[in-house]
Amino acid sequence: MQAVENAKLRLKDVTKTFIAPRTLKPTVAVSDVTLDIMRGEFVCIVGPSGCGKSTVLNMIAGLEAPSDGTIFMDDRPISGPSAERGVMFQDYALFPWLTVQDNIGFGLRNGTPGHSLSAGEIKDRIEAHIDLVRLRGSEAKYPHQLSGGMRQRVALARLLANGPDVLLMDEPLGALDAQTRLILQSELLRIWGETSPTAQRKTAIFITHDIEEAVFLADRVVVMSRHPGRVRALLDIDLPRPRNEHVRTTQRFGELSEEIWQLIRDEALEAIA
Amino acid sequence: MEKTQTGAKPASRDGDGPANAAPQRPGLPAMLLEIPGVVPALSFAGFVALWWAGAAWNGNSIQLPTPPEVFGALVSLARDGELFTNAGLSLSRLIVSMSIAVLIAVPLGFWMGLSETLRRYVDPTIELLRPISGIAWIPLALFIFGVGGVLPVFIMTYVAFFPLVMNTFAGVRGADPKLVAAARTMGVGRLRITARVVLPSALPTIMVGVRLALAGAWSAIIAAELIGAPTGLGFAIEWYRELLASPKVFAYVGVIAGVGYLADLALQWLQRRLTPWTVGGGLS
Ligand SMILES: Nc1ncnc2c1ncn2[C@@H]1O[C@H](COP(=O)(O)OP(=O)(O)OP(=O)(O)O)[C@@H](O)[C@H]1O
Ligand SMILES: [Mg+2]
Repeated sequence: MQAVENAKLRLKDVTKTFIAPRTLKPTVAVSDVTLDIMRGEFVCIVGPSGCGKSTVLNMIAGLEAPSDGTIFMDDRPISGPSAERGVMFQDYALFPWLTVQDNIGFGLRNGTPGHSLSAGEIKDRIEAHIDLVRLRGSEAKYPHQLSGGMRQRVALARLLANGPDVLLMDEPLGALDAQTRLILQSELLRIWGETSPTAQRKTAIFITHDIEEAVFLADRVVVMSRHPGRVRALLDIDLPRPRNEHVRTTQRFGELSEEIWQLIRDEALEAIA
Repeated sequence: MEKTQTGAKPASRDGDGPANAAPQRPGLPAMLLEIPGVVPALSFAGFVALWWAGAAWNGNSIQLPTPPEVFGALVSLARDGELFTNAGLSLSRLIVSMSIAVLIAVPLGFWMGLSETLRRYVDPTIELLRPISGIAWIPLALFIFGVGGVLPVFIMTYVAFFPLVMNTFAGVRGADPKLVAAARTMGVGRLRITARVVLPSALPTIMVGVRLALAGAWSAIIAAELIGAPTGLGFAIEWYRELLASPKVFAYVGVIAGVGYLADLALQWLQRRLTPWTVGGGLS
């Protein structure tokens, strides 16, 4: 077996089968996924709805155990969640009883990410992340008082404020307007460490339905397919970094987007037929 | 000139089209109804009118005294302070029994929500006792506590216990697993998750339990004091019943309603303070 150097995360023959509680009917959500993700790599996962993207992310987070196969982080099997692997959930999972600022500060105040920080440092971090996601002025509101896009930005700020080594993001920008989305894509690349040497970058897994978003952000795009959820293709995105808006107009960007679209179009058309 | 204006008015009323689609400005009576408290006052006035009509038709002041008679009795009871003494006693018994019930039932319900084993052992007994009205325990309580202040407190604690334990349990069980998962991915320990995620998740449901418990306990106090206490609102009702002083009986019934209503208002205020995120939620 060939040893992979610098693999931060290794998924080995990972399968997830859900058993329906009453009928005991099994659903194979993810089947035989084998994937190595390098330290400092930015990986985007695309694929049709229901192909198991969120399930893969939850397993990497340690919230669900694979039915078969193993997931390793730094060559140790993942047995449960840890603050090293921060998660931004598809439905945000904001605490309804906490204001925007207290949601952002929840992990810093109650979990391991804040252990080495003073109260003042925690406050500064919260403030910085309120500004980062452009929620200044709404910091004292409760989640139910926010729009869908604002809630999504709170969830993103909460993830980033905890400063995890591995970022697991499930459609983190899907509810945002086009302009905010472009701004936050660039911010995300900055926080991930685009301008730093690879060794200092975080490891990011980013689920999206937006092919151009995937090409803009990723080092590698994982294309998944349905029934059962499998890895259909892996594409290296060989666009130079740091990337700016200009990269979207290049020929290579168009080619890569087209290639991914060709890979998922059959299934996408099948899904709406 | 004025004439043409008034003449034009009905024409624009009859007209179909955008003028009719616009929301109509409410007339003066409709605007008065918007003032808070006006509709409840109307409801109450209607009730008093019906009562008065019934009393006039019945014509027997012992069976059904008229509103002025009852009001007069209320004023005289308030004047010599007896009303406040009895109301204060009953209210303090309510507060004591609610406190005891909360201190026992909320931790128990919380623990049952966290531990399936505990729930399996405790739940059958709770389900067995729950349908038994608090009043059914009065005879037994008379043997144990005798006539006095302890008996009504015991009965009310018993009545308040069930909604508190059930709602606390339901609140803990209903805590969103997604939120617990989110806290776990932030490296939050189990105890902290219980205190900072499960507890606030359950709090709105617990508060509903507190209000149900208070309403139940307050309903039970009358029967408990009627038979088992030498003081309090229930005792006073029984006392004046024996004296055939119906207006005073009714005055005390009114005080029971009033105190219960005010106590619930206080709890609603507490609810808004403790769970502000449940106030004014939208649809999304
Ligand atoms: N807890 C569960 N119990 C049973 N089946 C589940 C569960 N979670 C997911 N599934 C099933 O697993 C499959 C994959 O679901 P998953 O949420 O991972 O899809 P997804 O790729 O994230 O889709 P989307 O793009 O719509 O978010 C689906 O068929 C879904 O019905
Ligand atoms: Mg999903």
